[in-house]
Amino acid sequence: MKFTKIGLVGVGTVGQGIAEMLAKSGLEVHMLEDSGEKLDAAIATISNGLDKQIEKWGITSSEKKLILGRLRRAESVEDMASCQLVIESTTEEIDNKKIIIRKLDEICSPEVILASTTSTLSLTELAGACTHPERIIGMHFLIPMTEIDVVEVVRGIRTSDETIQNARSFLEETLHKKGIQVYESPGLVTTRLICILINEAVAVLAEGIATAEDIDASMRDGYDFKYGPLEMCDRFGLDSVNAALSRMFKEYGELKYRPNYLLKKMVRAGQFGVKTGEGFFRYNKDGVRV
Amino acid sequence: MKVLVINSGSSSLKYQLYDMTTEAVLAKGMVERIGMDSSILTHKPTGKEPVTEVSEILEHNTAIRKVLDKLTDKVSGVLESIDEIQAVGHRVVHGGEYFKASSLVDAQAKEEVRKLIDLAPLHNPAAMMGINATEANMPGVPQVVVFDTAFHQTMPEKAYLYPIPRVLYNKYKVRRYGAHGTSHHYVSQKAAEFLGKPIESLKIITCHIGNGASLTAVEGGVSIDTSMGMTPLEGLMMGTRSGDLDPAIVPYVMNKEDLTVNEVNSMLNKHSGLLAISGISSDMREITDGMANGEPNATLAFQMYEYRLRKYIGSYAAAMNGVDAIVFTAGVGENSIIVREKVCENLTYLGVELDKSLNAVRSDDPRRISSATSKVEVLVVPTNEELVIARDTYRLVNEQL
Repeated sequence: MKFTKIGLVGVGTVGQGIAEMLAKSGLEVHMLEDSGEKLDAAIATISNGLDKQIEKWGITSSEKKLILGRLRRAESVEDMASCQLVIESTTEEIDNKKIIIRKLDEICSPEVILASTTSTLSLTELAGACTHPERIIGMHFLIPMTEIDVVEVVRGIRTSDETIQNARSFLEETLHKKGIQVYESPGLVTTRLICILINEAVAVLAEGIATAEDIDASMRDGYDFKYGPLEMCDRFGLDSVNAALSRMFKEYGELKYRPNYLLKKMVRAGQFGVKTGEGFFRYNKDGVRV
Repeated sequence: MKVLVINSGSSSLKYQLYDMTTEAVLAKGMVERIGMDSSILTHKPTGKEPVTEVSEILEHNTAIRKVLDKLTDKVSGVLESIDEIQAVGHRVVHGGEYFKASSLVDAQAKEEVRKLIDLAPLHNPAAMMGINATEANMPGVPQVVVFDTAFHQTMPEKAYLYPIPRVLYNKYKVRRYGAHGTSHHYVSQKAAEFLGKPIESLKIITCHIGNGASLTAVEGGVSIDTSMGMTPLEGLMMGTRSGDLDPAIVPYVMNKEDLTVNEVNSMLNKHSGLLAISGISSDMREITDGMANGEPNATLAFQMYEYRLRKYIGSYAAAMNGVDAIVFTAGVGENSIIVREKVCENLTYLGVELDKSLNAVRSDDPRRISSATSKVEVLVVPTNEELVIARDTYRLVNEQL
């Protein structure tokens, strides 16, 4: 199967990263959002991000032009019919995702892979809304998408071997990323493990055992992480980490997933991390720690 | 015999069709933006109006088919039928240690080119696509692969090995391979012909300086050292490439600026060289214009470029214990009067004496630019890599017949 056109429904933070990464790999990306304004804002954010990369010598201005040229605006979900793969990356709302997947299932021919980026919702439940559940798959990309070369490929109960194989060859041959096969389960591997670490770091902070700076320095320098767990949380978004933990707590029923009270309190206060400029640390509008 | 020469990039394909009885170019052109719905095919038949066509060309297979359609087109074509093309020659960037010369394409050659993808991840896959697409569109037509690295395979171990743990060579073939071999080979032979001396008796330094640039020490007709290394980043300062630098700068800058491997790679390959120092352009013409206008950064960029080039000439004269001829070729080498002038101005210790009026002559023919009393001949020899590919293809296919 040759992949040239990819559909992308939902161009929020995750969607923007995916769109940029796909366009960098030479693919045409047909992006759909609720409104033209949202789409404009998404393209503007991607464009700003590319400018930052030019400043850091990561790309050239002609490469930026090529990348932006591959981002296409889809007017309606019907525009997705000509794509070989459609990735759904809307907010983690099962009912909304079901509506989208059902619509895509209606208009896309059966060999088209329909992927969701969810790491905590049930793929099997999403697939239940379709006449071709065998082509529904999960693709969990990690941020920053252009730098992280591992993707969790998620199998729902009815996902076919062929779909898995095509999705993995897409990841490996077109995107040059390693596809890790994971069976559907809340949090998959990455979200499940990292959220526990973050939640425990928040607990250590809340108990007054060490400062935020020192907790992060211990883990970052001690175990060679790029960021400490609290800065990671700021970068993922405290709201997203809180939501992921809450869903895993609900699904597994185990106390280890219960979001720490400090995390919940900060989310209520609107301190979401990088995106609001304040979380465990402070950030400027470019996401650089100040 | 008519020979089609193909140079495949990952999203482009250049071609030239030769009639080998006269070595005349019947047509040339290129397909750009392969993989998009708005690919551009530019076809330039000799003696006819050029044609540009925009259409959807998703892969190399379609690109070659479109090229063949154009070559046999009623209006813009130059052939009655594609059966007239009796051989196809491909430019391949990396031939590794396996290919010491051009080779006919068979299963073994294809497998070896494929194995070398690891060393030339951007270039060799494109060449493979070109070979496979030719096979699909012109079944049974013999194909030849011509390598940018092959001419340099004569370098001795002391020149191609790096002074780093030997295990890296044993395991991954980390060594100097060089580039522009087809061009260095061609212009060194042309130079010997021009001088009317057997190449076996000559020590020649060939300067292929275009957007990418490399120097080769050609002793007795063979490459004994060249400035590009395992990749085309080493050696001279180039348009956007740094050329030689202290390797310790890489981890230092990565650490200070928090750069990834990709970013530092892109910095050295695409954001360095003339562009980085001048802040104006990677193009030597714009640098010399800037210098003429008194632009200090353009002047500095030019000075660094010339200085580094001259140091390399000196080191290759030392490598061969002498030099009989210095040959300039490629975009900058063939056209920049001032680069040649400044380089030669400070090579008087070697006995180089430039004739400024000869240096100022523009021509498409090989020519001498040194004075009659110069101890070292300085020549400008326009390169023609496509013709070498066509000739090698013609020769190998004929030998097989």
